[in-house]
Amino acid sequence: MRFEQMAWKDFLAQRLEVLKTWPTGKDVDLDEGLRYQRGIPEPKNFARAMNKAKSGRKTLIQPRAGVALIDDHIRLLRHLETEGTADLLPTTIDAYTRQNRYAEAAVGIEKSTAAGHSLLNGFPAVNHGVSGCRRVTEAVTKPIQVRHGTPDARLLAEISLAGGFTSYEGGGISYNIPYAKKVDLGDSLRAWRYVDRLVGYYEENGISINREPFGPLTGTLLPPFIGHVVAILEGLLALEQGVKSITLGYGQGGNVLQDLAALTSLRELAGEYFAKAGFSDFDLTIVFHQWMGGFPEDEAKAFAVISLGAFVAAAAEVEKIIVKSPHEAMGIPTKEANASGLKATRQVLSMLTDQKICADNDIIRREKELIRNEVRCLMEAVENAAGGDPIQGICRAFAGGLLDIPFAPSIYNRGRVLPARDNEGFIRLFSKGNLPLTDDIMSFHKDRLAERAKAESRPVTFQMVTDDIYAISKSKLIGRPK
Amino acid sequence: MNPTHLVLGVIGADCHSVGNKILDAYFTEAGFHVTNLGVMVSQDEFIDAAVETDAAAILVSSLYGHGEIDCEGLRAKCVERGLDRILLYVGGNLVVGKTPYAEVEKKFLDMGFNRVFGPQVDLAEVVELLRSDIAAAGRK
Repeated sequence: MRFEQMAWKDFLAQRLEVLKTWPTGKDVDLDEGLRYQRGIPEPKNFARAMNKAKSGRKTLIQPRAGVALIDDHIRLLRHLETEGTADLLPTTIDAYTRQNRYAEAAVGIEKSTAAGHSLLNGFPAVNHGVSGCRRVTEAVTKPIQVRHGTPDARLLAEISLAGGFTSYEGGGISYNIPYAKKVDLGDSLRAWRYVDRLVGYYEENGISINREPFGPLTGTLLPPFIGHVVAILEGLLALEQGVKSITLGYGQGGNVLQDLAALTSLRELAGEYFAKAGFSDFDLTIVFHQWMGGFPEDEAKAFAVISLGAFVAAAAEVEKIIVKSPHEAMGIPTKEANASGLKATRQVLSMLTDQKICADNDIIRREKELIRNEVRCLMEAVENAAGGDPIQGICRAFAGGLLDIPFAPSIYNRGRVLPARDNEGFIRLFSKGNLPLTDDIMSFHKDRLAERAKAESRPVTFQMVTDDIYAISKSKLIGRPK
Repeated sequence: MNPTHLVLGVIGADCHSVGNKILDAYFTEAGFHVTNLGVMVSQDEFIDAAVETDAAAILVSSLYGHGEIDCEGLRAKCVERGLDRILLYVGGNLVVGKTPYAEVEKKFLDMGFNRVFGPQVDLAEVVELLRSDIAAAGRK
């Protein structure tokens, strides 16, 4: 695959159109944005914080959080950095903004003002504009990132980077296939090429902006290799446009050995694929997401899920962990519940700071080897479909089911892959759809699932998959029959 | 009214797709004809599908907290379009923030929904309620 930077004149031409898509776009000035970013104190730069975490072997903690109104959002973030001791802060964007439905976000702001509490599930940063974003980023002391789920995030990137955010989550696959229904994959990949070029421009001008493709995807029984392939591809596309600080993610699967294998292999494989494509000047870090599926309603049980995730992050020595709250089963947490998730995570990480947990044994090595081979099969298929152009390769691979994300809502995803847990809780493939995996790999998956089917005296069916999806919310890992 | 036809979907800008696929499989298995509109469905799309299939019920899911904004006015629109007997069920995490179920239930019953469910409801129970509610609606 050839990796080429977007031509600057094309970027500027597109930019004129992008800034017209909502009135707040007219307040964005690239040079003024750069000057503003230069004035942000170094300890508040996200890319630098991730780099320091890597050299200091620290795991930083970060929540998700966002509400409709600026003052309430600031109060929320301050609570998370003081009471919650968050190392890194988020600004989670509301679902209307994610779909570029800014008029509906405006209604949400009005109704929230009238109701005295947030009716939106995040912070509508585009509506609040550059000055609103600056009020938020200036009010906190920790590095702060935009977290969302936006297929076309060009205007949001322009506004929020000029507004003082120093990290931007997402990517053309990971913020389309799990987050949209009818957005053309080529369109979202090209929109994210623009975002990455914008970040590249900041980098060229001495401002480091961290980029984080969204690793967990649908967060539902995702076999590690599928997420890894997407992360590596989005990493390559970001580096292509001049991104330097890149954080790749993986969501907790629940089997501790599989999670450790996944996290260590993600770092190794990404490094190898980036180098093979000719990139050398990048800073790669890893983020682990605490369990992204359904949580137990009982808060004590939810804390247990949170703490197990914290343990895995420490054992795998990742640079960052995204933290859940004990309100997860009920939706969006209060600031107090959000802070308590952070505190539980902090407690586990602190107790493990000086311990070296060996993330290497025969089973982990077996799983790492499996992931490596699976990733190779899919990466080769994308390469072959690309005809030199990575975006074309990705689009063709999804169209042919060579890339396929389980349970995703997008019509551009085949949706024929079905995962299930084996008898020890490892996530395996029950149906591979059209994924280009070798017979050897598939017979391993099938054997492992046959073992469970035998133990449970029932065939592997959709019911087993459903049982697995609800298992953790019902206090188990594997969805055994009653 | 076709007593076995249901319209299913996730309302508004919500893209939570996992539960939707499970509900589709479950209600189909229970003997219903499910028209599954998937995620990110507008009120008009729900109603169009219900008119087209002469459905007995519309099953609305919402998991992302905007349910309150997205569901308002659905009952009035149904009546406007001649669906005066249709059952409206809603379930999921319907509002922003942890709220007592009774409060959420009242809010959505007042909006004109016939049944309101939390995220942990037993689907077998929903199927039972649906069958008896459809039978009762058919006798009217």
